[in-house]
Amino acid sequence: MAGPKSSSAAAAKSTTPSSTSSSLTPATSNAVHTLWKAYNEATSSRLKTIDAFLVFLMLSGIAQFLYCALVTNFPFNAFLAGFGSCVGQFVLTASLRSQVNPENRAEFKEVSPERAFADFALGSIVLHFFVYNFLG
Amino acid sequence: MFSRWTLVTLLGLALSGAAKSSTGDSVLVVLDSISDKDNFSQFFNGLTDKGYDLTFRSPKDAKPTIIEDDVAQFSHVVLFSPDSKNYAQDITPQSLVTLLEKGSNLLVALPSKKQTIITSLAPEFSLILPPPGTPLVSHFPERDTPVTVVPVTPPSSNPILTPNTPPVWFSGVPFAYGNNPLLVPILNAPAESFAADSGSDSGADAVVEAADKGGEGLWAGSQMGLVAGFQALGGARATWVGGVELFSDEYAQKELPQGVKPGNTQFTSDVAAWTFQESLALRIDNVTHHLVGETGPRETYTINDNVVFTAHISKYNSGKSAWEPYSGITDMQLEFTMLDPHIRTSLPPATGNPGEYSVTFRVPDRHGVFKFIIDYKRKGWTHLQSSTVVPVVPPRHDGYPRFLSAAWPYYIGAISTSIGFVLFSTLWLAGDDREANKKFAKTTKTE
Repeated sequence: MAGPKSSSAAAAKSTTPSSTSSSLTPATSNAVHTLWKAYNEATSSRLKTIDAFLVFLMLSGIAQFLYCALVTNFPFNAFLAGFGSCVGQFVLTASLRSQVNPENRAEFKEVSPERAFADFALGSIVLHFFVYNFLG
Repeated sequence: MFSRWTLVTLLGLALSGAAKSSTGDSVLVVLDSISDKDNFSQFFNGLTDKGYDLTFRSPKDAKPTIIEDDVAQFSHVVLFSPDSKNYAQDITPQSLVTLLEKGSNLLVALPSKKQTIITSLAPEFSLILPPPGTPLVSHFPERDTPVTVVPVTPPSSNPILTPNTPPVWFSGVPFAYGNNPLLVPILNAPAESFAADSGSDSGADAVVEAADKGGEGLWAGSQMGLVAGFQALGGARATWVGGVELFSDEYAQKELPQGVKPGNTQFTSDVAAWTFQESLALRIDNVTHHLVGETGPRETYTINDNVVFTAHISKYNSGKSAWEPYSGITDMQLEFTMLDPHIRTSLPPATGNPGEYSVTFRVPDRHGVFKFIIDYKRKGWTHLQSSTVVPVVPPRHDGYPRFLSAAWPYYIGAISTSIGFVLFSTLWLAGDDREANKKFAKTTKTE
């Protein structure tokens, strides 16, 4: 007897938030649209390249994590290597982004963009060396 | 002196080469008195004709001793001395058991009237004797002999005996079997027989009375044994006979009630052949093991290897005095054991190769110190035991499969990150000329 009641109550609850969210959608999409526009206009192409790479790394990492969680974590070392390469590369690339961003110039006065890229390239090569060692 | 010893040694070597038995041909016969040997002349002549070297001795003689300097002096000892109460110092229950431990075989006749060392030795072999002076009595079939002289039909399915042996004359005591698995019943009492105080029919009344009480104290029926073998763990065989007259010339000649010759000669010959390890004697010549596709054994095996185990088994052929390959075992098993048998499989005879038994199996997915074990124990046959230790190890670090299909998403993830890095670097460096110079110019300007 308790079953149907509770289930109907849950159904009622579930309908309420969905209706509110749908009512909020135009405002949200509007905000996202504004944000996207501002980003496209204010960001240099170099930083956009970095962002594209970051998005790719994030999607790759999520895909691997889902595969590990849903399909198999065997061999686990391969997962760690693949996932770790995404995370590590993401961190290195994000660091590069913050160092070459003109807005942060005050904080990285000592680091020229060339120096930042050299650090990034060296760090990445070392990272990939460890990744491939751990992969097989 | 020296030459005589050499001769004896040579003769011994020649005889042992042509030995009838698989363990040797020297036999010590202990008789109540030496003159008794004429009563068993057929049996003893049969043994001599087969190639045995018989030595006679009475129980009280000091020589020849059965064990000297801790060495058994005879391959076989026959104790046909049921009436002797006193033995020389070297014949004691302990020394007879020691003799079995050393591999000599025993053929023992139980005393029918007296308590002797033999009656105290019998319980060690899980034989339960009736009170002294209660021989086997049977009123069937109708015959002109005393009721204590009974014709007994040997079992037809016993591998020790020749099939279709005629009934044998028996007189002596029956015994009950304990539950020792090493006992091999050879001849059981007839169903209508019983053990009683005397040959008179008053004994029968006592049996009827006991039967009325629900069988309490009753010694009757076909569960009683008359002749029983015992195979010690070391392979030595001891045969216990309820009455020594079974072997006598008189019984061998005595016509059965049906008017035909009895089977005593055949029966006693079969019993002696089994006791002296002429018949049903097996041995494992060698065992080998190797990987499928290889020929030599490995020091260690890896988990999940496919391994071939082969055993060669021979049976003693007393006719040729030689061990011959034997493929007649169909129920042998091989165990691959680490504490528990991880694998227990049948070990069938291999077709084409006589005496070879072979099986292929997969080593379990478990590393440790394993043993190949053959443990074949069948009543009457020599026990076959073999144990070969072999370590089973996990694969070496490079023995695992390298690239697994399940891991391809991870490989692709890592490779695509690298490709992405190279592409990104290329784009960055390609865009460097134009933009970085501008930026650099900007920064230098501002500074």
